[in-house]
Amino acid sequence: MTGRSIVAVLLALLPASPALGQAAAPAGRVKVTAGMAFVVHEGQRIPAAVGTPVYERDSLATGADGRMGITLRDDTRLSVGPQTTMEISRFVYAQSDSQFAFVLKVVQGVVAYVSGRIAKLSPDAVRLETPSAIIGVRGTRLVIEAGP
Amino acid sequence: MNRGTAWLIVHGAVAVAVAASACGPRRVSTTGTPGPSTVVLLAEPDGSVGRAVVTSGAGAGMVDLAADRAVTTVTGRQAPSPAATLDAAAIDARYGQTLASLPMAPEAFTLYFRLESDELTDESRALLPGVLKAVAGRPAPEVGVAGHTDTTGDPKANYTLGLERANRVRTLLVGAGVDTSLIDISSLGESDLRVRTADNVLEPRNRRVEISVR
Repeated sequence: MTGRSIVAVLLALLPASPALGQAAAPAGRVKVTAGMAFVVHEGQRIPAAVGTPVYERDSLATGADGRMGITLRDDTRLSVGPQTTMEISRFVYAQSDSQFAFVLKVVQGVVAYVSGRIAKLSPDAVRLETPSAIIGVRGTRLVIEAGP
Repeated sequence: MNRGTAWLIVHGAVAVAVAASACGPRRVSTTGTPGPSTVVLLAEPDGSVGRAVVTSGAGAGMVDLAADRAVTTVTGRQAPSPAATLDAAAIDARYGQTLASLPMAPEAFTLYFRLESDELTDESRALLPGVLKAVAGRPAPEVGVAGHTDTTGDPKANYTLGLERANRVRTLLVGAGVDTSLIDISSLGESDLRVRTADNVLEPRNRRVEISVR
């Protein structure tokens, strides 16, 4: 049995799980971090370090001294200020199939957003949300603050 | 229990308590009105300004932000406040720390290819050291490599050619020491022309690979 077929058998034995698909392609990675900063992945709170992967449906959370900077696969950049909780609700960047979607939710706190390729290729596919507002963008640098 | 263990347990308990208080569930009201939200548009470093359209989550009203430091606030279920201008000092005081945490801007490179080929032009080959330097100068670097073609030939073959070009660049980068796991490749074939042409037009500027080091 070749190495590849062993892998194929092992994969076939695993239950179908979205994590398996996600594991192949993170939406982005942490590039900057300071203080108390976490990536919440499938309910697990992972301390953010430079290089920590961030997947679609992950949340990012910081404490009073926490900050975090993330670059997504389409060159979108985000920074998360102190005392902030946000979620990458959707991230689809399939250039070959022209499939694009980016939905970000700022639950509380401050997030800076610098648009990337998705906003350029398909502006209507980008939606930034807070509990009280919905923001559409046309290639842009924004700060979004959601109060308690 | 020895002292080391006790310290560890106490220390661990403190760490958990701090983490829970810092990042535990927020006082996010699900039944009452949502808290106020503020949106500020900022100019790009080159001075250009994008545009943002803000609506209330409840669907009331719409405000267009189209100038540097334009700001609106949405309170509860009301319509967004009319666009005003936030002064630079206030932006710095409220958001300076957050803005300073944005990652470095990705760096873009465009490499060109010979006709119907996955061979780089000599000029483009000379750009590779710059790509390597960009990779070396970043935290947790990643490299996106997207292959493109001109409109000569059929779209399916051009998708394949775009992929061959992206693969070729990946091979060159890996040969120069870039970890292959940092590189993601894709092909756009003839679907994203740099110079718009009719079908079946030879256009050297469309035969390219776009690299983004992020």
